[in-house]
Amino acid sequence: MAGSLIKIDEEIVTSAVASVTLGGSDWDSSYDVYMVTMTGVTPDVDKALAMRVLAGGVEQSTSNYDRAYKIMRADTTFQNASSTNSNLGFISSGLSVGTDTNEEFQTTQYLFNFNNSSEYSFVTNEAVFISSTAVAMSTTGGLVYTVAEAHNGVSYFFEGGTANIEAGTFTLYGLKK
Amino acid sequence: MATLEELTVEAQSEIDAAKPLYKQVNNERMEFSDADYEQAVTDLANSKWNDQQFGYIQARQEAYGSVQDQLDMMYWDGVNGTTLWEDHIAQVKEDNPKPE
Repeated sequence: MAGSLIKIDEEIVTSAVASVTLGGSDWDSSYDVYMVTMTGVTPDVDKALAMRVLAGGVEQSTSNYDRAYKIMRADTTFQNASSTNSNLGFISSGLSVGTDTNEEFQTTQYLFNFNNSSEYSFVTNEAVFISSTAVAMSTTGGLVYTVAEAHNGVSYFFEGGTANIEAGTFTLYGLKK
Repeated sequence: MATLEELTVEAQSEIDAAKPLYKQVNNERMEFSDADYEQAVTDLANSKWNDQQFGYIQARQEAYGSVQDQLDMMYWDGVNGTTLWEDHIAQVKEDNPKPE
C-alpha cells in the first residue's frame, strides 16, 4: 500500500558520537509496529553494536534484556548466540564490527508492543556486516525487554563505554495500519 | 583476577581519559550528561568483567574450527593412529583458559 511506511525520525552521524537516539521527543505513538533501518554503521574501535529501549525518553539499563540469534558466517559453520538478563541488547549478536574499509553494519529491525504498557517490548533483527576479523556475517533473531511498560524510543551504541559510532544513518519508520 | 569493583575503578579512569563523549539526539550532537557518563562507566566495567569471565567461550568457539574440519582430523587420526584432534582441542583449551 502506497504511503504505508512513514518516516518518524532520522539521525545521520557525520561526527563521532558514543550513542544515537531515535524517538524520544520525536516518538509518534500512533503505530502498532515500527521499523528501524541502520546503514553504513561503523565504530572507531572493534566492538559489538548494542541497543536499549527508552521509557519516558530515558534509556533503560536494568538487567532485563534477553536475546536469541543465529549467526551465519562466511568462514565457518553457523553459531547460536543467546543471553538473558543483560543490561543491554546486542544487535550484532555480541560479535565485533570492524573498523577497516568496508567493515560496516547494516540492519533492519521491527519494534513491537512499544506503546503497550502491559506487555514486554520485542525487537526482531536481521543484519549483515563485516566483522573485525574481516569475515562477512549475517545474523537473524531478536531480543525482548522483559519489563511490561511503554517505550518511546531506542538508543544505539557500541558496547564497552568508550567506543564511538563514526558514521551511519539511523532511520525510524511507523508502519501505517 | 580483578573484581568488578577493581574493573569499575579502571573503567572510571578510562572514561575520564576519553572525555568528552557525545550523543546524538534530534540531530543535535551534545556532550554526555553526568548520568550518561555514569552509565558509560558501568557499561565499560561490565564489558571488562564479561571479557574476563566469559571471553574464553567465544575465543574457544573461534579456535576449535568447524565441525567438518574436526571430523576430518578424527578421520585421519583413525587412519594413521595419530592424536591430531585431541591435541588440537587440548591446545585450544590451554590457549584460552577458563577463569579460576
